[in-house]
Amino acid sequence: MRNDLIIGMAGSGGDGIISAGESLMTAMAIEGYHAIMTKSFGSQIRGGESSCRLRISTDPVRSLGGTLDVAVALNWEDFLRFGSELPVGGRTVVIYDANTKVPPDKLPLTEVRPAVAIPVPIQETARQHAGTDKAKNTVVLGLLAGWFGLAREGVLAGIRKKFSKKGEQVLQGNEQAFAAGLEFAAAHPIAPDVVIAPPKPAKNGKTLLLDGNEMCAAGAVFAGCEFFGGYPITPSSEIMHFLSKELWKHGGTVLQAEDEIAGIGAAVGASFAGKKAMTATSGPGMSLKTEMLGLASIAELPLVCVNVQRGGPSTGIPTKSEQSDLFQAIFSAHGDAVRPVLAPTSVQDTFRITVEAFNIAEGYQTPVILLSDQEIAQRKETVPPINTSAYHVINRRLPTRSELEHYVRFRITDSGVSPISYPGLKGGNYLASGIEHNEKGAPTASGDVHARMNDKRIRKLTPLKHRRDLFDIEGDHHAPLAMISWGSLAGMASEALERAQEEGMRVKLLVPKLLFPIANEIYRDFFTGVKAGLIVEQSHQGQLYRVLRMYVDVPRGMQSVTRSGANPILVEEVVARLRQLTLDLQRGRVPEPEPQLG
Amino acid sequence: MSTVAEHEYQAKDYKSDLKPIWCPSCGDFGVVSAIYKALARIGRPPHEIAFVSGIGCSSRIPGYTTAYGFNTVHGRALPIAQGIKLANPDLLVLVAGGDGDGFSIGGGHVPHAVRRNLDLTYILMDNQIYGLTKGQLSPTSPRGLKTASSIHGSLEQPVNPLLYVLGYGASFVAQGTPADMPGLADIIEEGIRYPGFAFINVQSPCVTYGQEDQQLRVHKQKMQSLKDLGHDATDRLKAMALAQEYGQSLHTGVFYRNPEPPATFESAVKELQQRLLPEAHLRVDILKMFQAK
Repeated sequence: MRNDLIIGMAGSGGDGIISAGESLMTAMAIEGYHAIMTKSFGSQIRGGESSCRLRISTDPVRSLGGTLDVAVALNWEDFLRFGSELPVGGRTVVIYDANTKVPPDKLPLTEVRPAVAIPVPIQETARQHAGTDKAKNTVVLGLLAGWFGLAREGVLAGIRKKFSKKGEQVLQGNEQAFAAGLEFAAAHPIAPDVVIAPPKPAKNGKTLLLDGNEMCAAGAVFAGCEFFGGYPITPSSEIMHFLSKELWKHGGTVLQAEDEIAGIGAAVGASFAGKKAMTATSGPGMSLKTEMLGLASIAELPLVCVNVQRGGPSTGIPTKSEQSDLFQAIFSAHGDAVRPVLAPTSVQDTFRITVEAFNIAEGYQTPVILLSDQEIAQRKETVPPINTSAYHVINRRLPTRSELEHYVRFRITDSGVSPISYPGLKGGNYLASGIEHNEKGAPTASGDVHARMNDKRIRKLTPLKHRRDLFDIEGDHHAPLAMISWGSLAGMASEALERAQEEGMRVKLLVPKLLFPIANEIYRDFFTGVKAGLIVEQSHQGQLYRVLRMYVDVPRGMQSVTRSGANPILVEEVVARLRQLTLDLQRGRVPEPEPQLG
Repeated sequence: MSTVAEHEYQAKDYKSDLKPIWCPSCGDFGVVSAIYKALARIGRPPHEIAFVSGIGCSSRIPGYTTAYGFNTVHGRALPIAQGIKLANPDLLVLVAGGDGDGFSIGGGHVPHAVRRNLDLTYILMDNQIYGLTKGQLSPTSPRGLKTASSIHGSLEQPVNPLLYVLGYGASFVAQGTPADMPGLADIIEEGIRYPGFAFINVQSPCVTYGQEDQQLRVHKQKMQSLKDLGHDATDRLKAMALAQEYGQSLHTGVFYRNPEPPATFESAVKELQQRLLPEAHLRVDILKMFQAK
């Protein structure tokens, strides 16, 4: 029996690989397992290759995991196109369609000989029982349920639910295809230890099953979002899709604007008019929205701007994840424009971070960048029930009646936050502007006023630097070895930490959810006593590493571990690096920092 | 919608204390005065008005009123104004800016503002030149015009804002000039009262960088009231024919006024919100729909 199973499947677009993954995940979630599923596609709009990775566990799952336990190839061309996204290792069970005519000892895999390779007449079985290639995925479900003990009844119930609408013949065909898969597995046993252990008893409430974009949109509704302006872009559009279904019910409005600029512009307008507003996009859209972010900064208007990161620069790889927009999130827009940047680490975390993004935006009257990424945004996760009523919702500070008697919109206060009115509020009339203005809002070219207003706008964000609740710290507090990771890589880093600790290494991990402003003290405390370590990120440059080098005294032994998007960084690799660092420290060697670019 | 005025408003109630940065005799002084007059006749209190602009000399205008103003970024007044109107449809929303702001850098937003048809009034202060940046070509500059950026004369055909907006399908299109102050205040008032997107092109001369033949004294001789011409403002094709003369003639008044105003975007939004309201659940229950089943 095993507690954890990682399955990777690939086929052509019409093979229904992803729908098989979804059926399996739903059935496992209902049974009480934890799961994460990602989908990956080629660049074709329809057809082409598609794949999914599904990790199922009896315990909460933090990452996609590394090497596959089970690989399913409906054909080898499509499977191999996913390269390192579907890594096969020495312990992988490989299941593939016998119609590929590849002998089990001649698999087209480089430098790997999997434990077990089983050709299965998948297509033939589908045709025989259901009369169509479309049932290939149902055969696969039968094989997986049979060999690995995966929710046989649940999967069958899912098949019945799905095909009952398509007529008796289709339904029966698929039931038979499923049964044939089960029979094949029973007739060709692998080893008893591949079977997954029964789920642990669930806590109260029903498990949620959703992706990060849905969670972000749901978090926005919860936080009181009343306006969304956006423009379709991969991989963030699902946020707009969900809100265009839901937001109206709450008296809100969704505007699909004519372009990215108009999308954020309308959101800035709605915020000026007193509503909680959001926009969402990905890299190219962020580039276009930059000027509006500067406007929201100087006009001190709350706004949540979601960037679901994808591979860049320019069009880059729209369908794959990367963490290469951190510089942009922190530094884009001209002038001394400073804005908070938050990054969730999982689908579950996306709820809290989205609510936090709205709270910070409203509380500090500032645009907030929510840096999600394609992996979190489009992966499905089982999420334990969230007690939403435990979350506070913060609204902007409106002027009091006495403040309205002589209203001064941008009054320089101790906190830097001034009461904000909205059109319709008598006595609160003021001029909002992108031009520098004095406390009353009148345009000015005075250097003195400019300096004081810059100071106010930047100073007001200072309390965020002390938000320790926006930093997860795990491991041995006094460890000489440290790791930092963020966003969708944080789960992998957390698993690597656990693995390293099991091996006896003294190591700790910091995961910032607040990436800007830089919480100097929190980093300083964390780095105390640290001799070496890793900052692990999915980008070529290692953008967080470089930002930290800019703002914080990073110990010389901290190394930047980076990889461009769409190439997973595996737990095993990180643990190996930690092992090496531990040895180095034991020998009294402190590794040199990475040379700067250029 | 429009609240009953607590008292009679006068033009001065809409005038702020800020001193305009405009050059003496700039056409924009006339435009802002006409806006004060029109607003006083309509009688909405200043705090129920949002006045949005982009960047340029004319885009300073919201600050010279007592309304809630928003002097935004170059070319983006229309999207921001639409966000404001959608957030609070009860507001009276005015948009203003120059020809460069609206038809060059912001030109991509105009057709969409027109087709969405929110109840906004867009006042274009058209001077055929970039004034704030000291005299470069604008999208409405005539071909051959010599400016700081076209020393040898413009090689481009100008934009015709009236014809564009009529072509986009706008329901209210008018033109005025500060050379005719009563007429200008009248069409601004009519545009604001029109229930839908209203476009008003104001020929507002630049006294510093503008052409000699575009100054108010020339307007006074050249302007021709559409009403006096006997133009039927419900005739869209006739309006387009007259709009073709942009750049040669100076027609003032209403080119086109759709006698059957189409439904506004915000009214459709309200309808949708009300239709879906019965499906609403508490915001705290938003995650329930994702329970595995």
